Amino acid sequence: MAPALIVVSAVTLFPIVYSIYMSFNHIHLTLHGFRFHWAGLSNYRLLWASGLYRYAIGFTVVYAAITVLAELILGTLAALILQRLRWGRSSLLALLLLPWSLITVISAEMWSYIYNGVYGVLDAILLTLHIIHTPVVWLGFPQLAIASTMFADIWKTMPFVAILVLAGLEMIPVEVIEASHMDGATAWQIFWRVQLPLIRSTMSLAALFRILQAFGLFDLPFVLTGGGPGTATESIAVLGYQVMFQDLSFGPGAAVAASTTALVLIMAMVFLWVFRGMAEEGMA
Amino acid sequence: MKRDTMLVRMGALLLALFVAAPLYWMLITSFKTPFTVGQTPPQWFPHPFTWMNYRTSFTYFDFQHYLMNSVIVAVASTLVVLVLASSAGYALARFPVRGRIGIMMALLVVSVFPEIAVISPLYLLMRLLGWLNSYQGLIVPYTAFNLPFAIWILRNYFLSIPREMEEVAEIDGAHPLRTFVSIIIPQATPGLFTAAVFTFTATWTEFLMALTINSSTPYRTIPVGIALFGAQYTVPYGDLFAASMVSIAPIAILVLIFRNAVVSGLTQGAVKG
Repeated sequence: MAPALIVVSAVTLFPIVYSIYMSFNHIHLTLHGFRFHWAGLSNYRLLWASGLYRYAIGFTVVYAAITVLAELILGTLAALILQRLRWGRSSLLALLLLPWSLITVISAEMWSYIYNGVYGVLDAILLTLHIIHTPVVWLGFPQLAIASTMFADIWKTMPFVAILVLAGLEMIPVEVIEASHMDGATAWQIFWRVQLPLIRSTMSLAALFRILQAFGLFDLPFVLTGGGPGTATESIAVLGYQVMFQDLSFGPGAAVAASTTALVLIMAMVFLWVFRGMAEEGMA
Repeated sequence: MKRDTMLVRMGALLLALFVAAPLYWMLITSFKTPFTVGQTPPQWFPHPFTWMNYRTSFTYFDFQHYLMNSVIVAVASTLVVLVLASSAGYALARFPVRGRIGIMMALLVVSVFPEIAVISPLYLLMRLLGWLNSYQGLIVPYTAFNLPFAIWILRNYFLSIPREMEEVAEIDGAHPLRTFVSIIIPQATPGLFTAAVFTFTATWTEFLMALTINSSTPYRTIPVGIALFGAQYTVPYGDLFAASMVSIAPIAILVLIFRNAVVSGLTQGAVKG
């Protein structure tokens, strides 16, 4: 037990704290190591003065909010379908596991081929259906690129949410649903008044987990759009990577990383607070 | 709820299409020639059908190196995680450890923390140790980040095994270690599968650490290799998707075979967590 804990803390907890310490220093890489000089808040001042940083924070928060909400709604819908489905249920479940297990870099390349403005299949389908009349360069305009990135994200993660919600739904005793049915409740009432309140804790945990992941958004925009066009899809993590590993500015980079930590902690606390409110409401 | 059937079937069909269509497109593109890959309007079925991309991705793009690196890193991390997590999970399930729930929750939260928050100190640490571009440079952090969830899953399994099993073994004079290895571990096999599938998937797909810590060609894993695949101006999609299909295959087979373990693992992580 003890040795495992030490390894885990050394590699997980320690870097988070150390990253915050780094963000208050100027860092110079030497041949084999590195040197620190105390810098106070200057890294943060530098970042705050840059529009790029403020945009990245805003983009990441909005992106996380929209994708997680969409995934929860669509995932719940999918779970309700799966719950009622008898024929082909286990094959569909297996199919849903594929996007979850797919390397994100591969799914990003897959979508970049689908979205291609010259030979992309999305344009071909929409042209055939007469929904558009000229090919659209999906990744060429800021708002379209953001929406396309979100869609690719939802494709990969919605099935995961669906399986989580389905697991929550399956844990509700059949008698509860049958009883509400006998009392004359409609399907919609059963979902809204009986099932949803009972799977609230499952959904909250799924949401929290997804929000934490979404704040770290990196693989998809890094490969699909490279943060572009311009800097339209540049998330905090993509910016942090560029500052640290392309400009080799580890001080400001650590400040970018530390702001992710701050965002995640704030989010987790807000979430726990809201969730606590929900739990009390449920008991009343 | 008979009247729902039609609606449910339509919904299920839509869902299956939504998930499968992009995958189908990637699969058939891997069998197209460089000419038909860029053809407009696109071919819905590859004609002529070719295995050429599979050959090129191995001979020209050295995909087998990335494949081998990924296998080494993912298998080693998974094995280390299983050994450490089964002993830690057993300790948490059977012996009083002070503040264990607090420790577990903290570690679980940290293990889903965005990687960007930890990457720079980790990079400097690996640089200091001389572990940049090495297998251990990825195996150690992968093990650490995947241990908490594995411990959590295994602890839940150990809790469900009746204590009487161990008591009987003790009365028969078995050493505690022997009891653990030959009585407890076989009972926890489903839990071990779940933990293994999760750890393997997480390490197989991980990108940011692999990109920063092992960036030089001989140590690149599949995600890094694929992200930096090919030429500067044109992406060789056929070769790229052929390589992708090869790297999807092991994990897809694993997930399809152990889909019940995966689903129950997801459930435990969410519902009991």
